[in-house]
Amino acid sequence: MVKIKKTELSGLINYLSEKYQVFAPVKDGKKTSFQKIKSADEIIDSIPNTNLSPKSIFFPQAEVLFKYDENGIKVPKKDEKPFAVWGMRNCDAKSVLMLNKVFGNAHQIPDNKMYNDPYWKQKYDSSLIFGLACNAPLSTCFCNWFDGGPFDEKGSDVFVIETDDHFIMNGISEKGKKFLKEYKKDDKSDIDKEKIESLKQKAESYLSEKVDISNIYDKLNKIWDEPIWEEISSKCINCGACTFVCSTCHCFDVSDEGKSGKGQRIRLWDSCMFPIFTNEASGHNPRGVSVQRVKQRVMHKYNYFMDNYNEHLCTGCGRCVLVCPVNLDIREILKKIIKV
Amino acid sequence: MIQELRIQIKKLIKDKTVDLVIGWEKGTLPLTATPLFMKTEEDVDRLIFDHTCRNNLTTFLTKDKRKLGKQYDKIGIIVKGCDGRSIVLYSVEKQIKRENVVIIGVPCNGIIEKKKVYQKIDKKEILEYKIEDEQLYLKGRDFEITLPFDEVLCDSCLSCSYPDALETDHFIGDAREKLDLPNEYSQVEEFEKKPSEERWELIKEEYSKCIRCYACRNVCPSCYCNVCFVDQNDPQWIGKTPEVTDSIIFHLIRNLHVAGRCVNCGACVSACPVDIDLLMMNKKVEKEIKERFNYTAGTDINEKPFTATFCENEKQDFIMS
Repeated sequence: MVKIKKTELSGLINYLSEKYQVFAPVKDGKKTSFQKIKSADEIIDSIPNTNLSPKSIFFPQAEVLFKYDENGIKVPKKDEKPFAVWGMRNCDAKSVLMLNKVFGNAHQIPDNKMYNDPYWKQKYDSSLIFGLACNAPLSTCFCNWFDGGPFDEKGSDVFVIETDDHFIMNGISEKGKKFLKEYKKDDKSDIDKEKIESLKQKAESYLSEKVDISNIYDKLNKIWDEPIWEEISSKCINCGACTFVCSTCHCFDVSDEGKSGKGQRIRLWDSCMFPIFTNEASGHNPRGVSVQRVKQRVMHKYNYFMDNYNEHLCTGCGRCVLVCPVNLDIREILKKIIKV
Repeated sequence: MIQELRIQIKKLIKDKTVDLVIGWEKGTLPLTATPLFMKTEEDVDRLIFDHTCRNNLTTFLTKDKRKLGKQYDKIGIIVKGCDGRSIVLYSVEKQIKRENVVIIGVPCNGIIEKKKVYQKIDKKEILEYKIEDEQLYLKGRDFEITLPFDEVLCDSCLSCSYPDALETDHFIGDAREKLDLPNEYSQVEEFEKKPSEERWELIKEEYSKCIRCYACRNVCPSCYCNVCFVDQNDPQWIGKTPEVTDSIIFHLIRNLHVAGRCVNCGACVSACPVDIDLLMMNKKVEKEIKERFNYTAGTDINEKPFTATFCENEKQDFIMS
């Protein structure tokens, strides 16, 4: 473990900046999001989680896959420096792990070959993630439903606990440990374990009671044709706010933009809420009305992803709960489903 | 008032005057109401009406392939002033048959804009709240504050001349006449005074925040095209990236498409997850239409849409300058 004074954060960011492009939570207009920073002054502290999720660091909303002109195809150059991300809460760090299962972790394709997404891998594999313990979760946070918690280290390379005046850093992954070793001498003597435990307990006490959703997968398998979907989806207006602030939603669309021999192919976030999501070239859309698309969102998160990767595609960050214009609360949906 | 409203709606449901009534119930977050679809008398017990009833519920009449209208013969809907204008607009634009909708008006004294509240308390979490005597009392883990209403009401409410619906079948409470607001367009006038480069910069700054989630479009009662131009992909009409060059086209076209049709409900402003000031451009266009065509959307059920009429004395400087 390495303990630094909060005033040393600036030095840490400078140190990181020599080797990495550093991302951190910043004020972005009236909202907060993860952006590339030049100095520690830009970092905002004491927020539970940013309004926009950090998934965009590794999976940008619009990513140029290649450009073309009369001279041929050009793939964008790799970023010169790898990414370091400061200040990811447990829910977000866990989300990035999930996305890595989809994009980076040898996903099997039908002819028995393994597929890795190069655009994801070149950003994620060399990255260094500093998770930051969440001292004051919001009442919309429900990470505990998914066996996460404000002090959960999963997904972090280095896990950081924030006390009144210090950051206490602990290497979790091999590269995290290696970084810390190079950065500062390990010194356990000065760590107040009791203080950390009390911070953790206080943070956990902020969370609302855990709801047992262990049967959600089975329930979803059984209720495909039930009228409950009409009830759940009736107030959804099918905007994409929930999916775009979501830290785990990763459906994308590929768009070709070009004219007179020049152009580019872009990968763009898509949303199952949109009317043209899965609209086929024939004009047929298997998910033509709202109820089918709301069902898709719930099924993907709490059933299909379980089939593919043995976990729920949700970490309980609560962003969708906060932004929904009609207050369609995913926690209420889950509670309804487990009671069917 | 709420009891009277519930009795009225229960009566409508019991008599089978309506198959469904759309209203609001208490939401899961502080200062948040959520749409309520009432089919039975028991459902009505959950109905509320207060300063948190943000949604313009009329949007459900035209959304999702106009499903509700197909599913139910007669729909009751509770409306504030702005929502009532949407119904009038739908009728004028032949999106609904007036006789198929039972309009229940309620007196609106303004809706709280949660975004303004959270700005005031530095985005701290609200654990308790109380609304009393035109004041909002808030309590969180380490703060307690009382805010006067005029600081936290939606901008659209502060510039609203029609607090109560003009066209109703039932009105619970006392309906008021149109208000006279001398400063309705003060923000627009400020904007107009700026040089064009500055105006362009302001527009760019606002719309560069856009993440293209289309929450503004989808909550908007006036946005009901079967296929929105942003969803036209064969051929694709506009770029879909969150770059300002693409987003600005979306927003400015939407602005023009709701010209003379926007009812100033402010639903788009409240829905935007990145807090874009969407009202200003809508008000600018509204002002323009009012000056040129003496037309205010959704205020006269017998009037034709402004684009469907022509008067010789209309300002025509855009043609004959």
